[in-house]
Amino acid sequence: MANRTRLGITTYLMFAIRNLMRNRRRTTITLLTMIFGIAVLTLLSALNDGWLSQMKTNFILSYTGHVQIHARGFEASQNLRDRINKPEEVTRLMQSYSEIVGWTQRIRTSGLASVGGGSAGVQIMATDPEQETWVTSIHEHVTWGDWLRPGMSRDLLLGATVAETIGADLGNRVILMAQRPAGDMVSEVFILRGILETGAPQIDRTLALIPLNTAQTWLDMGQSVTDIVVRADHHENTGQVVRLFAQQLSGQSYEIMPWQELDPMVRQWLEFSDAYGLVIILVVVILVLVEILNTMLISLHERNKEIGVIAAIGTTRIQIFSMLLLEAVLLIFIGASLGYLVGSLLVYALSGTGIDLTGYANAFQFFYMNPVIYPDLTSDSALRILGTTLIAALLAGVYPAWRATRLSISQALRIQ
Amino acid sequence: MTSIIKTRDLHKCYWVGTMPHPALHGIDLDIEQGEFAVLAGRSGSGKSTLLNIIGALESADSGSVEVFDQNILQMTQDRRTRFRLDHIGFVFQAYNLIRVFSARENIAYVCQLQGKSKEESLEIANHWLREVEIEHLGYRKPDQLSGGQQQRVAIARALATEPQIILADEPTANLDTQTGRNLIHLMQGLNQRLGTTFLISSHDPDVKEAASRLIKLADGQIVDEWSTIPKPPISISSACPVQNKPLGERVRIKLNRMFSRRRRKQSPKDNSRHS
Repeated sequence: MANRTRLGITTYLMFAIRNLMRNRRRTTITLLTMIFGIAVLTLLSALNDGWLSQMKTNFILSYTGHVQIHARGFEASQNLRDRINKPEEVTRLMQSYSEIVGWTQRIRTSGLASVGGGSAGVQIMATDPEQETWVTSIHEHVTWGDWLRPGMSRDLLLGATVAETIGADLGNRVILMAQRPAGDMVSEVFILRGILETGAPQIDRTLALIPLNTAQTWLDMGQSVTDIVVRADHHENTGQVVRLFAQQLSGQSYEIMPWQELDPMVRQWLEFSDAYGLVIILVVVILVLVEILNTMLISLHERNKEIGVIAAIGTTRIQIFSMLLLEAVLLIFIGASLGYLVGSLLVYALSGTGIDLTGYANAFQFFYMNPVIYPDLTSDSALRILGTTLIAALLAGVYPAWRATRLSISQALRIQ
Repeated sequence: MTSIIKTRDLHKCYWVGTMPHPALHGIDLDIEQGEFAVLAGRSGSGKSTLLNIIGALESADSGSVEVFDQNILQMTQDRRTRFRLDHIGFVFQAYNLIRVFSARENIAYVCQLQGKSKEESLEIANHWLREVEIEHLGYRKPDQLSGGQQQRVAIARALATEPQIILADEPTANLDTQTGRNLIHLMQGLNQRLGTTFLISSHDPDVKEAASRLIKLADGQIVDEWSTIPKPPISISSACPVQNKPLGERVRIKLNRMFSRRRRKQSPKDNSRHS
């Protein structure tokens, strides 16, 4: 047997391009459908990425920071006995890493706030007034009064809902009651200097914020703290920071928690959003796939005889398969590229002004979102869209191409 | 003379639902090298089925088919494809050119399938376009050609791979009488000049008239068969006298002949390679 039959890539390309041009109206309609679908998909993905990024940033900066370091077991027990006795062991590492842009120490415990006849359970959080501003943006949410003032040991800030519940006004004396590590209950009087309104219910309903030094003395903690809160330069670097601390503090009794682990609800919401984004991609891709499959099958049906002829004159099945697959891939490649380009231009056009959804501001605050969403097309999304489209192209192309190789040549030749 | 096609006790039956439709019933046939054989018979007599089976386009239910001493019924599908490419050229009733390719590209395509470079394939295509006297139409797509011109391209495509056998299924059925005669003349000339074996199914009286051997089929069986002394090709000048054609066409034909003669003289090597 002589050499295997072979065709140059230019012949395959010429065959594919000319066949696509054969029914220009159908090809144009298919391309327009694809361009629309991929452009919408690109825009939706960018919006999804944009608001997820906002949400992560807002969540991280409102309270938790990117990474928290606790004494082992504290997150589960919330007991002051599980505390970091030598915080300097951890804080001395902070200067070493360029990924860390700020850190603070906190004491967190449950307590009771009361004023006059009103009282409510609160989450007491003691922090360094200045260092806290390096890590979170909670100081920006003081809607009445002032942020904690350095050196003013009796300053207290309450969440807006707590203040309303117990009927506290600015300047009121508020009694906080809490349990020391040894188990004895103690109380202290603070002056309400400010009211915080973050929009996040768990903060507004429960937070009582006091200076760290005061809490250490009041709760008999010495230099101990419960949390060391770290801010990274970007939430994408959270994992890197966690790994750095895990290496340096291995073998010691710390728990190093990324922000995703600190609030299960937010984590679930982010996972849901990712899944939702994936569903959108799948729906659009399936629609595009069905469109391409339909086009290719109609085209195949119209060309059954011609495929029979090219098989009869010596084209092998694998060559016929490749020709038709290339046709589908080419169609999807052109459609996807143009669609992605149009989508990217839309993202670019909207990235300056964003999409203003101020009318739903309350709902957005609940989920740590800004009312103006700025689309943000990440490389991950771009790869996901183009990768999924490529897979769809192969799927949409493989079936008609496979069917073409199954044609009976003699039957195809009989078609009038 | 040696038989290059041998069929023995060939049977083929089509099924439409549960109804059998016998197409071939014990065909024994030998075709020798260089024959210009015609399968004649009514529609449904089994001519096309026999051609398809000999051309390795279709399987038989039983019997054997040997082409160049190779049993094509036992070949795999890919081997049959390669076999067709190397040994058999096809001419179909409906021309069946690839619509998206020009006449030249249609011919070059089969050469590329044989592994020849694009440039070489196009050169071969030009040569065969000259042979079938439509070199000036090489850049036209099939839908820009008349039926006769398309069938000439189909013949050129069938010959471009230098096969020993051409199978032609009703090649003149879609053509008017005069164009059909011209085509028969062309095929006869190629048969006599190149020694290529032609097996043609047809019920066109002109084709039967031109046959060196006529095989008559009825109900899937060979019912009659006779050989004739090879006839000279129908003269194109008598079938289509130049003097009857319009002036423009006469000038074009004369110029074509003059230039093609001059080209042949200038490049005898190029022509001898394919003849």
